[in-house]
Amino acid sequence: MKGLARSLGLATAAAMALTQASVGFTRDEGYYFAAAQSYEAWLRLLLRSPLQAIAQTGKYWSYNFEHPGLTKLLFAVSHLVFTTLTHALPDALSWRLPAFVFAGLLSYWLCLLGSSRSRAAGVLAPLLFWCAERTFFHGHLACFDIPICALWAGVGVAWLSAIQSEQRGPKICFGLMYGVSLAVKHNAWFLPPVLLVHALLLTQRLKALLTLPYMLLSPLVLFAAWPLLWHEPIGHLQAWVAFHLHHVHYAWWYFGQVLRAPPFPIWYPLMVDALVLPIPAVVLLAADGLSLLYGFARRKLDPQRLLELALAGAALLPFLTTTTPIFGGIKHWLGFVALLCPEAAGLLVLIAPSPRKLAAAAAAVLLPGLWQIAHVHPYGTSAYGELAGDIPGAASLGMQRQYWSSNVTAVLPWLNEHCPPDARVYFHEVNFESYRTYVSMQMLRADIHYAASPAQSDYAALQWHREFRDREPEVWNLYGTHRPATGLYLDGVPQIVVYARPGKPGAP
Amino acid sequence: MRRVAFALLLACGAGSLLFDLTLSSRLPRESDWAELAGALRSEARPGDLAQLWPVWAEEARLHIDSMPVLAEEDLVHADYLGFKRLWVVSLPHFGNPEKGLQERGATPAAPARRFGALQLQAWDLHAPEISPLTTQDAEHEVDYVARRCAQVRIGSHFVVRGPAGSALHVRAGVIGERAYDAGKPAVTVQVFAEGLRLGTLDIPRTARDGTGWRRLDVPMPAGAAERQFIFTIDSSDALRPFCLTAWTSK
Repeated sequence: MKGLARSLGLATAAAMALTQASVGFTRDEGYYFAAAQSYEAWLRLLLRSPLQAIAQTGKYWSYNFEHPGLTKLLFAVSHLVFTTLTHALPDALSWRLPAFVFAGLLSYWLCLLGSSRSRAAGVLAPLLFWCAERTFFHGHLACFDIPICALWAGVGVAWLSAIQSEQRGPKICFGLMYGVSLAVKHNAWFLPPVLLVHALLLTQRLKALLTLPYMLLSPLVLFAAWPLLWHEPIGHLQAWVAFHLHHVHYAWWYFGQVLRAPPFPIWYPLMVDALVLPIPAVVLLAADGLSLLYGFARRKLDPQRLLELALAGAALLPFLTTTTPIFGGIKHWLGFVALLCPEAAGLLVLIAPSPRKLAAAAAAVLLPGLWQIAHVHPYGTSAYGELAGDIPGAASLGMQRQYWSSNVTAVLPWLNEHCPPDARVYFHEVNFESYRTYVSMQMLRADIHYAASPAQSDYAALQWHREFRDREPEVWNLYGTHRPATGLYLDGVPQIVVYARPGKPGAP
Repeated sequence: MRRVAFALLLACGAGSLLFDLTLSSRLPRESDWAELAGALRSEARPGDLAQLWPVWAEEARLHIDSMPVLAEEDLVHADYLGFKRLWVVSLPHFGNPEKGLQERGATPAAPARRFGALQLQAWDLHAPEISPLTTQDAEHEVDYVARRCAQVRIGSHFVVRGPAGSALHVRAGVIGERAYDAGKPAVTVQVFAEGLRLGTLDIPRTARDGTGWRRLDVPMPAGAAERQFIFTIDSSDALRPFCLTAWTSK
């Protein structure tokens, strides 16, 4: 089964690599690219002068202190190897390469979990997860959402192996794997209580409880992968925790109301999942969740299914409290969707036991998701499923239209073609770091300048956000026109609207 | 049970796919927009306005060049200041604007026409003659809709002379996201004519979307045909951008 899992993992990573070029650089990627550049400079110093590098971790690692170092370190190592030293890959691709590996690892672990039911379930589990534009989109990004989702599954697999083994090796592996998850994102803080509860509910309780102390190995990984902690660790750990305990609430449009502060609707994450994923996947995941809950209530879950339920629930639970920040579509609880997939795959095999029926059932569940990917990619943050009425239906419902600014790639060719030399463009939500990457990747002409406000611009590429509606009238007033020059309209719904000052090339 | 689940799953998948694959047939093509814009160009006259429905159909702005285009979200209460005839550009598969228009007293001025997935229908607004008391040369977003209004400083006042008409109308709100700032005090607009207070409009912090653009409609007391109006705008927090429009109607 590991061979099959490895194949699926490689196929996933390859699929991400082959479809990444058109995916815009999200706001957060801009920051992580900048962090990776700083960390790469530190790596080069480390190679030249190790003692100096160890003494100067604060200088290079303070940027983006709010997230642990591992993924950004991997982005930096990848860039150092594949771009700086060998010139084999362009900047963005080498930064994103580790993200594809994490996407592959997610497929690998989902396949292993699914394979415990049947070989078919092993194949279907990762497919169920990836066959939706939202999840597929996130697999491309040099961010932490897919990595932590992968580790959510990976820690689960390692835990199952550790509690079933008499050997010390799997237990050490589990402890280190948890350390890796901790070094990826703070979601990992929730894993110890989940595993404790899981251990308490098992018949072989003592053996499982005695495996938990191996998690004490995790700080070793966290410290090794995050040089910022090498000096003043307590202060930096406090800053890390404090940042997330007091995280800002970004405005988010939901059923015609902009949500700005708690309390948020309790069913928010489930509702958003239901609206953005294709209906057949939603139906199957819902049936699977209910099946797991029913099995739990009747105490009929084996340790693996119990763990999948616990991990899926734990990924979602913080967002049901009504106080946790809810921005970012479904990216913060991708682990919920992922950990339901093995059971959903098993359910699919159960419903359609013969190969022909299984092929039909799999097609029924996966094809709408494949259509969504083919139709919407690379504009993943805009994707909605049939329950919402696809993208136009979601716009009518008053749902968040997009986020992170990556859809701007749609209008870059137009800007390159029409902007006169040294034109100033107001890119709105696109941060300077992402703009710089578009230029370095030659997706945007180097002589097109980043304007800080519409008043300083010749062109404005506005991202349609409910909470930024004031920008469009501002541009109308400044430019003296209401007619856009071009834009990205997905199924007729405005995403990016470009205005040009009258008289400028491309102006209507 | 297994057979039923299998059949339901197939039906669900097939239905979803059918919905997805036919989506484009419910949406306008480039040629539909071009034809509609051409029709508007040939029939446009002063006092005409295009209203989009659903409001997200703003792709229309790329094509309609013969009249202002508005995406008012509240068809019943929208003021459509200075406009006589409304050209409603709608996507019938995604909503029907008729109910709201009828509720406000508008009547169809011509039968609806189809341009592919688009529908175009002229509506007579039966709007009264109005006399603006504030400038309307800029637009600002209040409550997520672009409003033609004058930006005025909180803590200021202004004086304007204009026809009295039979009623005074004031609309006001805080521009942009500052309207939602928690804990901020209300803004109060008072209107006086010839020393007599005509009305007070309170604009509290917007707690719920759709309530930020406040309205004051008061009958004009008997007196001179033309009067001097004084508007005062007060709040203990004067830092928010504020927008106001006022007019009298016959």
